[in-house]
Amino acid sequence: MAVCTGCSLLCEDIEVALDGGKMGKTRNLCRKGLGHFKSIYLDRARPAVDGKEAGIDEAIDKAAGILKNAKKPLIFGWSNSTLDAQKAGLELARELGAVVDDTSSICQGWIVEKVLRKEIPTCTLDDVRNYADVSIFWGSDPSSSHPRHLSRFSYYPRGEKRQRGYEEDRTAITIDVRKSPTADISDEYYRVLPGGDAGLVEAMISVLDGKIPRVEDKKKLISLVTNMKKSRFGVIFPGLGMVYSLKGRKELLDALVEKLNQSSRYSVIPMVGHYNMRGFNQTLLDQTGFINRVSFQDGVESGPEHSVMEAAKTCDAALVIGSDPVSSLPAAVARRLAGMPVVAVDPHRNLTTDVARVVIPSAASGLEAGGSALRMDGVEIKFDGVVESERMTDLEILARIKEGL
Amino acid sequence: MAGDEMRIVTFRDIFQSEAQEMGRYSQEYQDLSAVVRLDQLDMKRLGLKDGQRVAVEGDSGTVVVTARTSDESPHPGVALMPNSPWSNRLVPEETDESRIPEFKNLKGRIVATEEKVKPISELLEELKG
Amino acid sequence: MVNAMEIYQLTPKTNCKKCGLPTCMAFAVALLGREKNIEDCTPLVDEPKYEAKLKKLQEVMEPIMGASETGLIVHPEKCYGCGNCVVACPVNVANDPRGSAIGLGPKSDKAILVVEDGVVKCLNMEECRRFGPNKIMCNACTATCPSKAIEFV
Ligand code: SF4
Ligand code: SF4
Ligand code: SF4
Ligand code: SF4
Repeated sequence: MAVCTGCSLLCEDIEVALDGGKMGKTRNLCRKGLGHFKSIYLDRARPAVDGKEAGIDEAIDKAAGILKNAKKPLIFGWSNSTLDAQKAGLELARELGAVVDDTSSICQGWIVEKVLRKEIPTCTLDDVRNYADVSIFWGSDPSSSHPRHLSRFSYYPRGEKRQRGYEEDRTAITIDVRKSPTADISDEYYRVLPGGDAGLVEAMISVLDGKIPRVEDKKKLISLVTNMKKSRFGVIFPGLGMVYSLKGRKELLDALVEKLNQSSRYSVIPMVGHYNMRGFNQTLLDQTGFINRVSFQDGVESGPEHSVMEAAKTCDAALVIGSDPVSSLPAAVARRLAGMPVVAVDPHRNLTTDVARVVIPSAASGLEAGGSALRMDGVEIKFDGVVESERMTDLEILARIKEGL
Repeated sequence: MAGDEMRIVTFRDIFQSEAQEMGRYSQEYQDLSAVVRLDQLDMKRLGLKDGQRVAVEGDSGTVVVTARTSDESPHPGVALMPNSPWSNRLVPEETDESRIPEFKNLKGRIVATEEKVKPISELLEELKG
Repeated sequence: MVNAMEIYQLTPKTNCKKCGLPTCMAFAVALLGREKNIEDCTPLVDEPKYEAKLKKLQEVMEPIMGASETGLIVHPEKCYGCGNCVVACPVNVANDPRGSAIGLGPKSDKAILVVEDGVVKCLNMEECRRFGPNKIMCNACTATCPSKAIEFV
């Protein structure tokens, strides 16, 4: 059995037939996971310096040189590396006095932080499978982003206290701006307008307080909240829709969850995307007291000025590990990154490796290298590689760069 | 014209994610990414046909993509774009104090165009400046 | 999916009865229910003037002819490989308490539905509840599919 690192569900039941050392037929991988597995044979990164092919040793030397000479290097990415590699990366960051930020900074960070700091209750996905009777996909569409979420945990499987199947035992509710594939198969779909989540939370709280909500379709909202309240074990799965819409009114999430917990039991599991983003946030929290946006320039400090959005303006070099910020950040920020010396460590060619001064190809974790990671619910999952590879792991690369300083 | 202004919301699509896993430079990734999905009513109102090229004009930039009729209606006034380097041309660098970019609540106008969709290599050249 | 009317439009519409049925419409219905084959309409196959119709009919019938005897059709190109159908199928649940019943990939050889190479695949179709003398109208697999990748004729 192999583990899929295609998303933060880290499915552990993957069967892969090996055919002369190459991957053959697979079972249980979803479409996204299959793409992830197949990717080891496609568009791989090659070691390069200044746009020309180079030996791996030369690339590592150059990388160390760039980082050493930078006044304020940024280390970004992290969420597609194993826990051990993350720890090695943090040692390097301390030595360099670097600014450290990960993809959570532009997505789930603030909700993950509340969960990790135990400001809002959470539970494991195994608890969800065994006990949950209401699953709320809020601004999330797991059918597209975490394809096996509903079948493995949140809607369809049988569990200890959920023996009778989804029709009788569970209710799935989707709250989204669009009728997503997940909304299509949920029991209830509640449409919210872009930016309308804060208003919806407030309206829900008034219904829970026994007041008439100030929304257009009062009946629909009251019936929704009534269903939510009936639950004995409810779980909210916030996706990017909620993350972006509530980012200016974060306290509303706490308020809603607290209210719901007065009459039933509610937990929150953020729909983290990359396979080990939660692992990085936890590791950094354990080491520094912060989940992201940390500077080691002068001791340890954290704040919005150390977010990747700001660091792209103030840093003078970047080490990017297992991430493609030039693709995923707003174009103006991507342009800033493209303008500074970048060292990219990645299994694949992407826009970031293509703007990088130095490219160091890495083994794909879970596929070519083992390690462990935290699933979206914080449970640690260990894995081995599936196929042999000569490429160095992130862990080895980061250690070598550190030696080279 | 305020009447023509649409909300633009980025989202993720499994086929696009699959293509992304297999390589950012494939034609398939472009075809699945450089797209805007509109409600039937908006398609009609704007006089667009499924598969027609449109320019999405935001405050931070403009990008040419293919218009498609959404099968996730109704969402009049809301245009859906898969999250990608194309949609990221519309996302402003400025943020509120959260320092989280506005990936899901952009404003823009959508107009038919004869221009071609730029391949990712061209987007990259423009980023390199 | 095509309906009987669309199939009818592609028959010769002469009601010649050579197929053993009284009308072309009856033939269309039988074709859709897979009780007849296209070749049973001999004029359509033999007479050159129907060539275009024949070709079109073969095209529209292709997915249906691929359907299992229970009438289940899968469209692998639409499938997410999410496993919802695998886990919701009552036969999978009954035959495979430690695999698909609890959300994992099937551990039993008797599972009807499995996900292979990222998409759904039907095995052991004879186990399906829509099949055989005691058949019931189960639709757990189609009702749980987010992509309409699985349907019944
Ligand atoms: S759901 Fe996620 S972890 Fe599971 S197989 Fe699909 S991509 Fe891999
Ligand atoms: S053989 Fe063909 S043409 Fe004749 S009745 Fe049957 S379907 Fe119609
Ligand atoms: S119809 Fe029912 S028994 Fe047959 S495959 Fe679908 S879910 Fe299983
Ligand atoms: S057929 Fe539908 S439910 Fe089954 S695996 Fe494919 S997408 Fe999921």
